[in-house]
Amino acid sequence: MPLEFARSELLTFGVELELMVLNTRDYNLTRGAADLLPRLEKMSLPGEVKPEITESMIEVNSRVNRCYDELLRELTVVRDAICTTAERLNLAVAGGGSHPFHRWHERRIYPTERFKQVSALYGYLAKQFTVFGQHVHIGVTSGDDAVYLTHRLAPYIPHFIALSASSPYYQGEETSFETSRLHAVSAFPLSGHMPACNSWAEFNVFFDQMQGFGIVESMKDFYWDIRPKPEYGTIEVRIFDTPLTVERAAQLAAYVQTLAAHLLRVRRTEPIEPMYLVYGYNRFQACRFGFDATLVDPYTRAQTRLREDLLAALTRIAPDAEAMGTREAMVALDKLAKTEMNDTRWLRERFQETRSLNDVVRLQSQRWGK
Amino acid sequence: MSATFLPSLPFHLSYPLLFGVLLVAGMLGGELARTLRVPRIVGYVTVGFVFGPLAGAMGMGLLIDEARIFVDLALGLVLFDLGRRMDVKWLRRDWTLAVAGLAESGLAFAAVFATLLAFDFRPVQAGIAAAIAMTTSPAVVLLTVHDARSEGQVTERALNLVALNSLFASIIVTLMLGSAYFEARVDIETAILHPLYLFAGAIALGAAMAWSARVIARAVERDREVHFSLIAGLVVAGVGLATLLKLPVILALLAFGLFSRNDERGYELLNVNLAPIGRLLYTVLFVITGASLPLGMLVAGGLVAMALVLARAAGKILGVVLVAPLGGLRPRQTLGLALALMPMSSLSLLLQHDIARIYPEFGRELSAALVGAIIVMEVVGPFAVQFGLKLAGETVPEDDAPAQTHAA
Repeated sequence: MPLEFARSELLTFGVELELMVLNTRDYNLTRGAADLLPRLEKMSLPGEVKPEITESMIEVNSRVNRCYDELLRELTVVRDAICTTAERLNLAVAGGGSHPFHRWHERRIYPTERFKQVSALYGYLAKQFTVFGQHVHIGVTSGDDAVYLTHRLAPYIPHFIALSASSPYYQGEETSFETSRLHAVSAFPLSGHMPACNSWAEFNVFFDQMQGFGIVESMKDFYWDIRPKPEYGTIEVRIFDTPLTVERAAQLAAYVQTLAAHLLRVRRTEPIEPMYLVYGYNRFQACRFGFDATLVDPYTRAQTRLREDLLAALTRIAPDAEAMGTREAMVALDKLAKTEMNDTRWLRERFQETRSLNDVVRLQSQRWGK
Repeated sequence: MSATFLPSLPFHLSYPLLFGVLLVAGMLGGELARTLRVPRIVGYVTVGFVFGPLAGAMGMGLLIDEARIFVDLALGLVLFDLGRRMDVKWLRRDWTLAVAGLAESGLAFAAVFATLLAFDFRPVQAGIAAAIAMTTSPAVVLLTVHDARSEGQVTERALNLVALNSLFASIIVTLMLGSAYFEARVDIETAILHPLYLFAGAIALGAAMAWSARVIARAVERDREVHFSLIAGLVVAGVGLATLLKLPVILALLAFGLFSRNDERGYELLNVNLAPIGRLLYTVLFVITGASLPLGMLVAGGLVAMALVLARAAGKILGVVLVAPLGGLRPRQTLGLALALMPMSSLSLLLQHDIARIYPEFGRELSAALVGAIIVMEVVGPFAVQFGLKLAGETVPEDDAPAQTHAA
């Protein structure tokens, strides 16, 4: 049975944000989702707040939005509600791609059927997957456009990594990476990127094969950095670390939206395969070095600094930003790239000041709250 | 030649030997309990029950007097840890928690007080006993939480309520000493000044310890091991100072913990985990507690003891059930929280012991009732907490138990 691609309104967007649930004693992760969620359910919040794989995570799903301002307002309302509710339970909530010092084996699987199955299949990987990402959905009108955008956004993956990076610490150690979260994702057998198919029909052939092998049941089983989401009529970018503020989260979503608008306006026709030859290398460079990463252009073979590549992209899409109403967000990202003050750097500076990862998380949760 | 280098008879039991023996025996009891799927604490206490009469037969008298230093150290650590767990800001943000604390302590006090009056005890005595009965054993709750790796709303709320009722009880017992003196016709200065000294002195000592901890912490490396030594050292020193100054160890160390957690300005003190020394001291504490509980008191206390246990349980359960749901706790969580407040152990025993020493008129009969109640709850309590936390869904699932770790 071919996958049906549900049409959405073009370039509408929405985000999912995975957040940490912390105790306020030593700011370790704690099991609080089961107490937070029912209380949040009773409030009439826009969008949804849902459980995630372990009991110290919650996931915010925004509604489908048209413009950046709207999304930012909505995320602010939801954030405030979550923080107030958490306070009454003596819990704290924070952004950030990974918890700096929690021990994965202390996590507990959230007791739903799906999470229990995932845990049974993946063993310790399931608990290790207590990392926190932001997903951005972009609405498209056809499966073909979804496939097109999934490929054409791939060269921007390093930008997304550098801009959102917020996980320099993992299991109590400095990793020297801008983001350590992506290693937890890479461990899954179906991670990586979509194969080089050119249309929704071609993608369906691939999907049928994988389903025939009994390897996957649904699109949910692919842990790709970008994947089409046929039931929503969207493509989903899953590479971002959850940023430390909702403002940054909205800016990142706006960047994807604006890039998508640009790529649909100025259609790219270069062959896809060479892009994936350099994909893993460029991705690693961004994870390790952030804005200082060296990126390889598979078509010109030129090497560029990620910072310059990003600034060039922002200039290129400026007209689309005007049209989409995302100029303000693009200006903020431009400034971020020039000052290199990303969340990872912020976390490292807090550690330099306090010499304690507990304090870093405390400050991180304060930053999320305001 | 006289063999002066050989030990001479009869042997005197030394503190290191006593501590070592109690620790190993307790550990064995705990392991036996674990294989029988019984809370470890019950194992520790049972070893004490056996040890007590043995020690008596060996002419060692009341073990709680002999080994008072270990009891003080252990309880000092327990109360410090408990104080650190209490969050005054939370009590302000969620009024239901503070009210639940008042309700469960107040109702337990009222129920026990009324029961004892019905048994014809004098009001001052009944009041002191009722105040002692307000406390929940912090050691039992903390150790069960640790052993079951319990985490969540019920665990956190239970620990805050235990801190509150320990605080209320130690304050009331201290203040009621005044009335006791009055009744005993001690001069009026002593009747007022002594309780005042005990109360204000303990709070001041706790504050001073917390202040010195922060001053020293600022001067040294922010490192877990350094702060561990600092805090462990100050806790032990605090116990010593309280004893030296004839201040209540319990209140002083509770205050130390409270002040070191709830400082608004800085976060100089790292929240180090004291479990490694905690385990040693707690084990010994429970064995000694068991050993100092003459099982015969259960018979002597008899009916009054049972009535006291029931009245106390009813008061605590009613207090929690009336208030906790207002804070959004589900029925299972509410019941779990109430059960977690059941244990009665060394803290009550120590309060009773101290009162009986300062105020001999407290009466053999009432002591027997209290000790009888403690004996019952010493065994029932750990089961109640364990069951309560499990009911609330906060203990670690059994199929999720940790693998043996080989790391140092």
